[in-house]
Order: sequence, then C-alpha cells, then structure tokens
Amino acid sequence: MNELLIIIFAPLIAGVIAWALDIKILRELTGIVGAVIPLSYLIYLYPTIDAGKTIQYTASFAGFKFNFALTQLSWIFAMMAGVVGLAAVLGMASTARSSYEWLFALMSLTGVFGIFLSYDLLAFFIFWEVMTFGSFMMVLKYNKSASLKYFILSVIGAYAMLIAIGIIYARVGSFSFIQVYNAFAQDAALGMVGGETLFSRGEMAAIFGLFLVAFGVKAGTFPLHVWAPDAYSETNQSYTAMFSGVLSKTGVYGFILLYMLMGYRLMAEFGTFRSVPKFGYIIAFLGGLTIIVGGLLAALQEDIRKLFAYSSISQIGYILVAIGVGSALSIEAGIYHAISHALFKGLFFLIVATIIYRTGKTEFKDMGGLAEKMPLTFAMAFVAILSLAGIPPLVGFASKWLIFEAVISQNMPILGGMVFFGSAIGFVYLIRFTYAVWFGQRPTDLNDVKDAPLPLAIGMGILALLNVVFGIAPGLVAGELNKIIGKDVIGGTIWELDIGVGKYNGLLITIWLVIGLLVAAIIYFLGARVRRVPVTDTYQSGNPVTMDYNLTIRRNFFLPLKEALSFWLRISFDKLYRDIAKTTEDFADTLRNYVYNGNVQSYAWYLAIILLILAMWGV
Amino acid sequence: MISVYYFGAIALVLIGLYAILVKKNLLKILIGLSIMETGVNLLLISIGYVSGRSAPILSEGIGPSQAVDPIPQALVLTAIVIGVATTAMALSVAMLIYEKYGTLNIEEIRRLRG
Repeated sequence: MNELLIIIFAPLIAGVIAWALDIKILRELTGIVGAVIPLSYLIYLYPTIDAGKTIQYTASFAGFKFNFALTQLSWIFAMMAGVVGLAAVLGMASTARSSYEWLFALMSLTGVFGIFLSYDLLAFFIFWEVMTFGSFMMVLKYNKSASLKYFILSVIGAYAMLIAIGIIYARVGSFSFIQVYNAFAQDAALGMVGGETLFSRGEMAAIFGLFLVAFGVKAGTFPLHVWAPDAYSETNQSYTAMFSGVLSKTGVYGFILLYMLMGYRLMAEFGTFRSVPKFGYIIAFLGGLTIIVGGLLAALQEDIRKLFAYSSISQIGYILVAIGVGSALSIEAGIYHAISHALFKGLFFLIVATIIYRTGKTEFKDMGGLAEKMPLTFAMAFVAILSLAGIPPLVGFASKWLIFEAVISQNMPILGGMVFFGSAIGFVYLIRFTYAVWFGQRPTDLNDVKDAPLPLAIGMGILALLNVVFGIAPGLVAGELNKIIGKDVIGGTIWELDIGVGKYNGLLITIWLVIGLLVAAIIYFLGARVRRVPVTDTYQSGNPVTMDYNLTIRRNFFLPLKEALSFWLRISFDKLYRDIAKTTEDFADTLRNYVYNGNVQSYAWYLAIILLILAMWGV
Repeated sequence: MISVYYFGAIALVLIGLYAILVKKNLLKILIGLSIMETGVNLLLISIGYVSGRSAPILSEGIGPSQAVDPIPQALVLTAIVIGVATTAMALSVAMLIYEKYGTLNIEEIRRLRG
C-alpha cells in the first residue's frame, strides 16, 4: 500500500475500529494511534520532499483515475493538519463522550488529508465532502439547528464547486491538476496574443465566482461566515481545535490552488488593480471585511466559545487578505499565518475545552480567578493570547508582521487599514478573555476546580511549544515556505526574517525580553515585601467587594461599543438568510391557502383546465 | 360531419366532468365518475369501428378482413374492470367518510385541508 494512502486513510480506519470496539480506553488509544500514523509518515517523508521531489500515486477506481501527490505546499498543509489533528485528538481523549465522536472526528481528519494530498479535482471534491460530512455529524451530535445551518451553507458551497469542476472538465477533458494547469496556462498565452481560447471570459468569471463561494464557505469568508460561530461553538471543543484550526484551512488551500491552477489566466483575462490581480483583490477585500466583522462581533460575545469562533473568522480574514494581494511575499505570509493560526487557534480551543470540561460553564459571567486554580492551563492561555495578539517572541507576531509588510509594500491603504484595525480589535477581545476568565474574583462554586487532565495537557503542550519555537526561530517556517516559490523571498537565518525592507530577529527579541523580565523580577523581589492577597480581598471606593458584586469585565464589558454599533448590528446576514427562508415559507403558505386548498373539486378543475389548454394547443 | 358515436361519447365524458366539477354530494361525484368512464369506453370502442364489418370472432365466413378492430375491445375490457374496481373502492371510502363525518357534502369534509 502506498504511503500517501496510508496517510489519508489511517485516521478513518482507526476511527472505524474505535467506533466498532467502543471499549473505554482502547478506543482512545486507537484514535490517538490513528492521528499519530499520518504525522509520523509525514515526518518520515520530509527528506524526500526537502530534496525537491514529489511523491505521486495514482489509484484507479470505477473507471476513474485518482491522482495523489505530496508536494512542498501540500506537505506544509498536511503537517498542519497532522500536528493540530493529533493535539485535538489528544484533547478528545479527555472530552469525547462516545465512540460516535471518534468515528466522525477521525473521518473529517481523513477528509482533510485527502484534500491536501489529492492531485486532481475529482479526488479533491470527494475528500472535501468526506470532511464536510464528518464535521457535520460532529455538530449534529451537539446541536441540530447549528448543524443544519452548517450543512445548508456547505451544500451550497459543494454544488458551486461541483459546477465549476464540471465546466472545467467539459472543456479540458481531465480532472488532473497538471492537465488543468496546462490548459489554463496555454489559454492565458493564447489570450494574450488574441487567439482562440478554450474558456471564454464569461466562463472564467463563472468558474472564479463558483470557486469563491465554495472555498469562501469553508474558510468562513464574509458574508458566508454565518455557519461558523454556531458550528464552532456547538460541538466538542477539543474537536473545534481541529475544526477551526485545520478544516477552515482547506478553504485557504483552495484559494492557493486557484492561484496555482488558473492564476495566470485570471490575471490575463481580468487585468490588475494597483499592481494586484483584480480577482485577488476581490478575495483580499472580502478578507478585509471578514477581519472587521469577525473582530467586532467577537468583542461583543458573552460566551467564550462564541468569542473564539468569531475571532477565528477574523483571523482567517488576514490569511485571505495576504493570499489575495498575490505577490510572492504575501502568499508566503498568508501560508505562514495559516500555520500560526492553526497553532494558536487550536491551542485556544483546547484551553476552552479544558475550562468547559473542568467548570462546566461557558459564559464569562460565571468565571473568574481561574489562574490560581489552573496554573498549567493559564500558562498555555498566556502563550496563546500573546501569539494571537501578535506579541514578538511568538509565532503570531512573525506571521502578522509579514502580512503587514506584504500589504504595505503593495501600497494598499484600505486593506492595510482593515488589517491594522483587525489587530486592534484582537486586543479588545483578548483582554476580555484574559481578565474575565483568569483574574479577578472567583465565584465560590469554582473553588475546587482542578487543572487540565493529562491528555488535554499534552495536546496543549505540543501546540504551545510549537507556538514558542516557531516564534523564536521564525526562519524554520520561512525556509520551508521559500521552497514553494522556489527562491528566497524571505531571507535571513533561522532566527531572523529578512524581507529587504525590514528585518525581524526572533532570538534577539527573546533575549531582550528575558533580560527585561529578569530586571523586572529583581525590582519586584528587592522592592516591597511580597504579600499574598486572596482574590476576594479587593476594595472598591473604600468598601470591601462582596461575592455578589460582579466585576464589570465579566458582563457586557463592551456595551458602549455595542450601542455605538447598534445600527450596523441590525444588518445581520444571519437575519437576512433567515428572512429569505421566512419569505419562502410565507409564499408556500399562500400557495397552500389558495391553490393547494385540500378541496378535491378545485384539483379537478385544475386538471380540466390543463386538459382544455392542451386541447386548444392541439396536442 | 362528426360521427354521432363520437359526439355521444364525448358528451357523456363532459357530463361526467360537469358532475365532478360542480356537484357537492360525494355520491353524485362518484356517479359522474362512472358516467365519464362509460363515455371513455364508448369512445374507445367507436374508434375501432369499421363501418359494415362484424365482431372480430374468427368463425365460418368471417376472416380477419371482415372484422372490426379488436384492440380497442381488449382495451375496453380491461378499462371496465379497472373502472368497476375503482368505483367499488371509492364507494367504500365514501362509506367510511360518512361514518366519520356524518355527511357526504364535500364542502363540510374539512380534514384534507391544511
């Protein structure tokens, strides 16, 4: 059996075994083994990929040829899925309630590997659906209406993709990426000199629009993001680490594929806007809107899971902006941010899973002062917060800095403004999470909360370690990214990123940071005598604060923001979709009242009238 | 000039259709259905008629060239049986409806309506 097929199908097989066995410890072990096998194979294949070779495999089934290939790009994305998938599966070992969850979580992991490794449009589509089905079943287990919303938008995306693939197949006659690429490249060259092209301008616009919908749904692009907050929050939170960390990256990978397969053609057909291809600018602008909408809504949430769901949407916006801008640097920056988003968002959702697993509560108003009770989880949260906010020695800084540089160097003022706004709003909602959950008064019912269980702690540990390592040595990632483009777009050593207009040295900053912390620690310990203060020992206006007084950060902290935005909040795409559904229902009701009225004689009349019309027509 | 057979058959169908469309009593509608069915059967038979020929039973002196078209007769034989079966079934449903609602006026039988 080929190693690519092992990578793709190992999780699914493990999932089926875990589901069939359904013995408490065995199923957890099988699930973890199923997530370890693909990861270890990917690491084992690294030297081959590193040498610039591509591993290919063709499987024939039912008259179709399915091509699989492991290229530099797909290796990076598959590693992302492998690492975050393993961490999420470790988390599930603590939080999964039944073998059902093991089956479908691992099935969606198989789908993700299949998407990243497939090398033709048909296999890509099939694994896309496997992934969607697995994740849909995971949401269905927890919340039916959230899963339905996810399902309907996914189906719209899937049909859009299927139609686009159909148009391509009808013209090219093959699903294989290589042949599709060749056809588009030839078309671009012919179009340039005014020759007869395979695809007309309208068809190119249709294919692009359909793919935009298909990938946009999965990535959670505005205005197709409405499924994400519900689906991310209404499922096993350990699984959401994979859902938000990896499954949303398949949309991002799709956009990169769009560049790889038909980028030249689209650029030749639709031209450029301020030295950025026009079709990419559309992606980037939607990404910018996604950043703003996701960020603002994240700040207004009262539920931890919802906050991170919206924040996840917002962060995906960055990746889309970077990919849309379309220079070599910005595409590398986009993939870099995809990696760091997978790492820190996976970590965040595992932390949320721990908090919910230990306290059983999901809203900010019920929490507080947990840092003392869950020190390990707090340390992990600290890493994740710094990473998402983009504080230097962590991976989030390196990738956001690259995106900023990429956008600025292309002279894109509006996109730049959106990206900077997104960073500011990122602080706004992270402060909420930091203070409301970890500091302040602790409600008395949380007094005997324990720290994270071992598997969850290991899962968080893996992700937190990578957040730190890739932050201090950003060149590790940049080196791999350079191999995709084939030249040193991001120069420098493994400690340093050098993009010509600026440099960032992760190690140097870490050293200075450690020195600064040491100085602060010396001042702290030499200064006033340390006194331990219980969290409830707080005074406000000279009065001791009682237990029933809630520090305001826990409840409606950003109420003024909400009031300021009230006009815009009324314009909700969620509501628009619901209104469309309502109108359809009303129309059906009208029909039922006046046309399908249950009176047999009126049906007989319809028949008679139709017969009369047919007779007059002369049938 | 349209043949009198056709005219009669189509008139029967239309009378039956009229009863179905306009009458409010369920039994009258069923009677209309039966009349319509009869009209259809007559129409089918009259299509197969060839003027001056006899029944399509091969016997002495009557060969295939002297018989009328036998296919409509076979069709009508089937249609009669089907018609009787549907009428019987419809009548039993009418009985059940009367037991349940105490009326045969289709305006008052509201259950089917949403």
